[in-house]
Amino acid sequence: MKSRTLLATTMAGGAAAALTLVLLRRRLGPLRLDRGRAALRLFVRGGARYAASAPRLFAAAGEQRQLLREDLALQTAEDVAGTLGAMKGVMMKVGQMASYVDGGLSPAVRRTLARLQDSVPPMSPQLAAAVVEDELGAPPERMFARWDPHPIAAASIGQVHRAVTLDGRAVAVKVQYPGIAETIAADLGNVALPRRMLRIAAPAQDVDALLSELRDRVGEELDYRREAANQRLVAAYYHGHPTIAIPAIIDGLSTRRVITSELSGGARFAELAAWPQHERDLAAETIYRFVFRSLYDVRAFNGDPHPGNYLFHRGGKVTFLDFGLVRHFSPAELQPLMRMARTICVEHDPEAFRRSLENAGFLRPGAPLSTQAIVEHLAVFYDTIREPGPRTITSDYASSVVRRFFDLRSPVAGYIAVPQSYVILQRINLGLFAVLGELSATANWRAIAEEIWPFTHGQASTPMGQAEAAWRARRQAMAA
Amino acid sequence: MTADLYATAAGLIGRSAAAFVSGVPEEAADDGFFGPTSLTWRVSADLASPVAGLGSLLMQALHPLAMAGVDQHSGWRRDPVGRLAATSAYLATVTFGERAAAERAAARVRRIHDHVRGTDAVTGRRYAAGDPALLLWVHAAQVDSVLAAGSLVGTALSAADSDRYVAEMVAAAELAGVPRPLAPASVAELELYVASVRPTLRCTPAAAESMAYLLDPPGLDEEVAEIWQDVRDAAIAVLPEWARQMYGYDAPPLSPGRRTEIRQSLGVLDALFLGEPGVLEARQRITLRMRARRSA
Repeated sequence: MKSRTLLATTMAGGAAAALTLVLLRRRLGPLRLDRGRAALRLFVRGGARYAASAPRLFAAAGEQRQLLREDLALQTAEDVAGTLGAMKGVMMKVGQMASYVDGGLSPAVRRTLARLQDSVPPMSPQLAAAVVEDELGAPPERMFARWDPHPIAAASIGQVHRAVTLDGRAVAVKVQYPGIAETIAADLGNVALPRRMLRIAAPAQDVDALLSELRDRVGEELDYRREAANQRLVAAYYHGHPTIAIPAIIDGLSTRRVITSELSGGARFAELAAWPQHERDLAAETIYRFVFRSLYDVRAFNGDPHPGNYLFHRGGKVTFLDFGLVRHFSPAELQPLMRMARTICVEHDPEAFRRSLENAGFLRPGAPLSTQAIVEHLAVFYDTIREPGPRTITSDYASSVVRRFFDLRSPVAGYIAVPQSYVILQRINLGLFAVLGELSATANWRAIAEEIWPFTHGQASTPMGQAEAAWRARRQAMAA
Repeated sequence: MTADLYATAAGLIGRSAAAFVSGVPEEAADDGFFGPTSLTWRVSADLASPVAGLGSLLMQALHPLAMAGVDQHSGWRRDPVGRLAATSAYLATVTFGERAAAERAAARVRRIHDHVRGTDAVTGRRYAAGDPALLLWVHAAQVDSVLAAGSLVGTALSAADSDRYVAEMVAAAELAGVPRPLAPASVAELELYVASVRPTLRCTPAAAESMAYLLDPPGLDEEVAEIWQDVRDAAIAVLPEWARQMYGYDAPPLSPGRRTEIRQSLGVLDALFLGEPGVLEARQRITLRMRARRSA
């Protein structure tokens, strides 16, 4: 059979503020190499557009009612199984994750995933109400003062309804499709096929590492209690933050398949195109601070940087939605990332950078490569933060990062390996670049990184930084 | 090898999808020969359909005269994907089309069959594609494969529903040119008929060669190639034991794990199919018509 012995590598990377650079390895049989390359070319050509323009499945509570085909609504759990069973739910989840990687799919597969999303109708009002009753113990009309039986948005593996609680709070209620958790878990439980399917959906990824990470993350996402716990954790941390807002979870109304949170307004990502550039820069700064503060201070990375999960307000305030896909890191897992950022960005010590890569498991020790070649290969991922000063992150830059990420031809690529715990992190970083690139955001990213890096103690570098510093001081005073 | 006589199978999904879409009317003046409440509609939406299709071809090819007709006339080697797409389009039109459309399609096929005559090199027997006996075999092999594929890797029909499906399909046989009294109208009749034909079946060189091509077609689109291996294994497993022996396939029964895997593969294939233009809309039209009937 096809032996996949020839080692080819793809390199993944990136972090705006820093640290992350993640490398993916893929084994290819000699005969398959051209196919793999073709897939990579398609991948790179896919560009940033997909991540920014396919929010339908991922959209969470928002103001505008989406065009959902209620005439085709799923009426029974069997309808759900027919629509999302036989790998389709799994494929959608994979597609959702792969979309962070900036259009990391061939056009045919992208089309398939987009159509799959279109092919999932909402639940009928009766079916959604039945799930709510199952979960909360009474029909929605009794659990809520007001209940909108028609969903306002499709969410991944569920849909969002507007409601008003008995004590008068406007809320968004996400209701999971019945039986979907079991269906997806069963499909993910089969080893062989998901691998085969992943090769289709994510041609350039290390399938084993990805599958294993995917199982963990999707498994978690199917249980809304986990999502509620993540959202509570992050909301508690950012409580009172000047520009970062996290909707509160309503405790008594959140269970395994129903999650109720405060309803948030705000502008959609697409509307930002019409906003003045300084507003877009502020929004980008908030997103950037959110991503890396969360990583270093909460040691949690929101795995879903999809633009559909942001709601924007003037003055840089951003509401972050959907915490279904959160990766928690141990201090030991963060340490190597910090070490890499520190050696290349702060200490400017190429040899130490190389050692940090080797220690972290990213680079094979003793690779017959010059340190200069390694630095040149990887520097693009740190481009925005190696030197201080304002830098604009453009779509072109985001694309160049993606291209480097999948550059198989570089001699460096053959010596790069991938620690599995960073697989998701790296994908998210590419997603972050895509979002910032879409905003053409300008900032002194290095100065902001220094505010956030635990090893630099940078002073507040922007008005937002000052407001954030004051908030941090208040937090610490309260904790003391 | 003879494989290089054949064109590649590139575009199989795209052209099959287009064929399916072409058969599903935008606005239907009538329910056609089967209609939204029929088992035929339900069965044709089953994930096992590609397996049923390939299984049908494997069965049909064992009839030396049916195989000779395809082999000597249809341009099958030159454009295998086109030939398969034409069959798909015909089946979709007969299944979902209005009566007039189904009758037109059937008349066209019957006219083509009128010109397909010759002598089978292996048996030395003369054949005519319009011969009701050949058409009946083609029909019965298809119905039999659909039932077998459904119960192995798809949604199995109950005994009563299986009978009902066979009975519904008499209409399709008649459209193709089989006199109504000859077409099996129950599973028992179908089994009797297949057993009666069995002595005349064999794997001719043309059948072996054509089916070898189909089981491992060169040039399949990248997304489909690996999945096709599962479709192939399932189609072989769906064959009756004697048919497997005629081909010389040595295949142990599918383990439950393997069946699950194949079902998942079929789901992925179905998703790729869904990615083709118009397929989702055509399916939605079908769903809406089935729903309208259910609630009426």
